Amino acid sequence: MPKKTRVLQISMIAVAAAFVFHNAFAQNEGKATSGADAKTAAAGETMDRAKILRAAADALGMIRWSDIGAGATRLPGIDIVNTMEIVASGTIYDNGQPSTCEYRAALAYVPPSMRVEITRKGGDAASQHTIQTVRENYAWNESEIGAGLIPGKGTATPAMPAAKARLLQLWIFPYGVIKAAIAAGDKTKVSMENGDTVITLPLSGSLAGVTATATLDSKNFITKVETRDESAAPSNLGTEVEYSDYADHGEVLTDIKSPGHIVEKQAGKPVLDLRVKMVDANDPYLVFPVPSNVKAAATASASKTGGN
Amino acid sequence: MRSYRSSLVAVAALLCLLPAAAGAQEFSSLRRTINAPPKPSGTTPRTADGHPDLTGVWNGLGDNLLGVPNQIANDGVSIDSENSSHDIATGTPIATFPRNATRGLNNEQAERAASLLRRVGSNRPVYKPQYWQMVKEFDQNANEEDPSNNCMPAGIPRAGIPSYIGQYPNYFIFIYPGQGGLIATQTMYRMIPADGRKHTPLEDLDGTYTGEAIAHWEGDTLVVDTWGFNSSTWFDQIGGYFHSENMHVVERFHRDGNTLTWTATVEDPDVLLEPWTTTPRVALLNPKADAMLPESLPCSERDLTHTVTKEHH
Repeated sequence: MPKKTRVLQISMIAVAAAFVFHNAFAQNEGKATSGADAKTAAAGETMDRAKILRAAADALGMIRWSDIGAGATRLPGIDIVNTMEIVASGTIYDNGQPSTCEYRAALAYVPPSMRVEITRKGGDAASQHTIQTVRENYAWNESEIGAGLIPGKGTATPAMPAAKARLLQLWIFPYGVIKAAIAAGDKTKVSMENGDTVITLPLSGSLAGVTATATLDSKNFITKVETRDESAAPSNLGTEVEYSDYADHGEVLTDIKSPGHIVEKQAGKPVLDLRVKMVDANDPYLVFPVPSNVKAAATASASKTGGN
Repeated sequence: MRSYRSSLVAVAALLCLLPAAAGAQEFSSLRRTINAPPKPSGTTPRTADGHPDLTGVWNGLGDNLLGVPNQIANDGVSIDSENSSHDIATGTPIATFPRNATRGLNNEQAERAASLLRRVGSNRPVYKPQYWQMVKEFDQNANEEDPSNNCMPAGIPRAGIPSYIGQYPNYFIFIYPGQGGLIATQTMYRMIPADGRKHTPLEDLDGTYTGEAIAHWEGDTLVVDTWGFNSSTWFDQIGGYFHSENMHVVERFHRDGNTLTWTATVEDPDVLLEPWTTTPRVALLNPKADAMLPESLPCSERDLTHTVTKEHH
């Protein structure tokens, strides 16, 4: 046998062996980590739900793992989205009147918190710059970032009635929908509607009674979220948001995909239309300590209403 | 000729990897699928004066700073099983899924994931608002800004649990081996008196990386109280958590059988809004009766000049 041919054959055998080994390894990995799937295989819808939520989370880059520096250790994947900052510009509608605006949102899921800073262009400066913050059941407005935490440094104005609407913004963001859907367990339903995958889930905590419906596209990105307040009391918790142009918008790349275009409507009319400029998804340093006067106002309000 | 050159490159690359491989070898066979703290076993030995004996090599799970799984735990996320994790500070469940068996990670993906995994925990120090942006920018630019990235000491509390503790009637010896790879820091040691002495007044101390530490017992817990730091360290591996020379750290060590639990409370009224306590870390005693600390390789920073993005490593 010519030497060249023999070398070629050996190479082919080596490649084939490597391929077989790789596949066997991958299959073994699948077997080793398919316990959750196997458990849910009997319940058809539960299995579909798990797969769909996993696919939606994977599309966003939420589930990650890495063993760098740890030898044979092999940890499962976990949800790595906690804090995030979004910088955008676009149009805000106040009672139907549009204004161009700069938008910056800082958010955290543990504990659930969000700070939205909006600067409207035109008009008087005082009414054009707002900072609206929420952490769990506390809501307040800040005259500057971190106002009210140090005596003499800005003013924090309690805004407790706005807490639910502000928290809603956190949970209807694509990552919030996935987190809430996973947390709701078998109360989350998946279905096909007009050829699209739809996830329906109940929100919880102070948003109990609100149902969210998320529509996925063929790449498993959330393209639309609608909410409906099922409680009898009138509220502003019914909304509709469209998300598109998903990409990694980070200055520091993270492989986390975020929407590049966000359009929010209420009662069919636009309230916000944003083009995203930057998303820092690398769990940046964002904190939301509650000013003491806001805590005091919440306590006073609770005692006035008998704790409700 | 070309293949000879290729071989040379391959050999050179292998030689570069060997020291790290040698360092990791002892624990490379330790297969873990969780990073939850180990359960204690065995009895807690005591010294002649009745205190728990902390003497030993505390690297049974590897050095507590080394490797993404340990770093995830340090950051406050406990991966309890293949489908269950939680944020240690709040108890909030974290969605957990099996790895995607059809999609392997290349180095870049693994590095990006590692950066995120080490930041997801909620236990963060709360700075005064005027420093929030500064902390965020330090973290974003950590490749250049992290004071330990250039082979400097990690400092306290960043160093965490010492890999070796020697306990004597009137003092302790702590040894923290230097690291390469994800963290490039210098070997550090501390000799900590436990003879009832008081701190030197802060204004009389020149700030140092490890400060002036004194130890005492509170029941079965060793308390190490330290001040007199310089401001050239951060107090965690991630986050850009800088501090002033006015930092005061109280560490607590508690031995239970073959485990050692450590926490540190940081007070720094110059920059922090309130004191911050680290997520408890648990180290495992090296099970080998003849365990030794291998010599750390000299730390030589060679990667920084090749860094072209802000991605963390």
